[in-house]
Amino acid sequence: MTGHDHDHDHDHARTVAPMVDEITDFEVLEIALRELCIEKGIFTADEHRLFTEFAEQIGPTPAARLVARSWIDPDFKALALAEPMTASKEVGVDWMEPTGFGTPSDFTAFSILEDTATLHNVIVCALCSCYPRPILGNSPEWYRTPNYRRRLVRWPRQVLSEFGLVLPDGVAVRVQDSNQKHRFMVMAMRPEGTDGWSEDQLVEIITRDCLIGVALPKAGVTTNVITATRPAIHPVT
Amino acid sequence: MSTAEERAAALDLVARLKSSYPELPNAPTPDLLDHKRIWAYLKTDHDVGGEPDAPMTYENKQYEGWEENTYVICEVLAWRGIWLSEERRRIGNVDLGRTMYLGLPYYGRWLLAVARVLAEKQHIGLTELSERMVEVRERYEGGLEGKTLEAKPKFEGDGSNVKRNEHHIRAVGKGDPQVFAGQAGQAKFKVGDPVFVRELPALFYTRTPEYVRGAVGEVSALAYESPAPEDETWDRQGVKPEWFYVVKFNLADLWPAYTGPADDVLRTEIPERWLRAAS
Repeated sequence: MTGHDHDHDHDHARTVAPMVDEITDFEVLEIALRELCIEKGIFTADEHRLFTEFAEQIGPTPAARLVARSWIDPDFKALALAEPMTASKEVGVDWMEPTGFGTPSDFTAFSILEDTATLHNVIVCALCSCYPRPILGNSPEWYRTPNYRRRLVRWPRQVLSEFGLVLPDGVAVRVQDSNQKHRFMVMAMRPEGTDGWSEDQLVEIITRDCLIGVALPKAGVTTNVITATRPAIHPVT
Repeated sequence: MSTAEERAAALDLVARLKSSYPELPNAPTPDLLDHKRIWAYLKTDHDVGGEPDAPMTYENKQYEGWEENTYVICEVLAWRGIWLSEERRRIGNVDLGRTMYLGLPYYGRWLLAVARVLAEKQHIGLTELSERMVEVRERYEGGLEGKTLEAKPKFEGDGSNVKRNEHHIRAVGKGDPQVFAGQAGQAKFKVGDPVFVRELPALFYTRTPEYVRGAVGEVSALAYESPAPEDETWDRQGVKPEWFYVVKFNLADLWPAYTGPADDVLRTEIPERWLRAAS
């Protein structure tokens, strides 16, 4: 049977096909795998739900708070640099959660890179997308692109300039390729115009991009540099 | 040791490799393939640092439901001792081959790694997986039409006989790499030591980037003790952990025609086996 054995008269080229919201290939595979894992006892539905709940509450706010508190309290800053995972607990992040040995892909080796008047830090994982998820949440899409990973380790100043960050003379760049078990974040310097600000006020200007090192905190700027967002086909609910 | 120019030239060559070099026939006879091109074919695909590329517009992306579920499955499989995250990185980032590595979405590769590890370790048969995929697709025949995407396992299985690794038990309460502390013995290098990165063959897996191989740097810190990724990626048992070092390289030494100031640096972590004392 062909598609043309019907006898009515119309112009096929101008027929608009109805929009069918199809299940996608990766959705089919993901559901099939999850069902089989649960049926075989590889993991339980409860374990999957528990980790989902954990994953849905991580984000960059604790990291911003850690930096803000370090700006205000020199003792806390010393702790943050010497024992970053102890300092993380003070802002509500226990790197050993939720498994008792951490989030497996992120390990439990955390290091905070301090910017100075002569040094600016920026992080990348040239091999995949290693990122301090427990304290920063999931990485942005651009951080995972081969493009950022290829170029940052070789042309850091050009890449930073594409984020609008042009470093003044006398400030060296230090690229940290987080290619093994350490996870890193950047502690920028406190910007001008923030004297007398509360910790909560400071948290607002320490964006995720500042914690990666592609932006510097600035009084009045509370959004990331990259705001364009591709919509999902079937977004997480 | 290699020069900055030699390292850049090797990366230029790798960057032009699509699924194959256009100047060669498919499945070339051995005499047609030189050492440098064999090197490029065998290079671990994830190691893209320093490959030439033009600027692009960077974007964020809204999370697909399946992407979040995929991330969660991967982490739960590690939590429950089915794999180490280092096995996931090899299977999802390197074993795929360059065409799929660069061609598929990020979490698509994570998801294929789940299917691959469950099949390879004989937890799930390919036949039952294929049948289940057909079944799932049939549930949504004609489109979602308001139906939510959900997994509907037929029952909850007994997992007591599922083969699991030792790590997911041993690391509890200690963390990783802390679970390996005290096992590597005396560290060969100390902070400030000049070291050069060996040019070891890197067949199938490594996390020592090509762009530092042959280069000279300086030890910035002793990081921790851990099995090297070359062993950990197969969860090889009985392997002695070794020291990892944070090594600092001067960007102007690392790359030809580096245009930034002379004190711009890059740091990366390298296991001891890759390092030798430099003078």
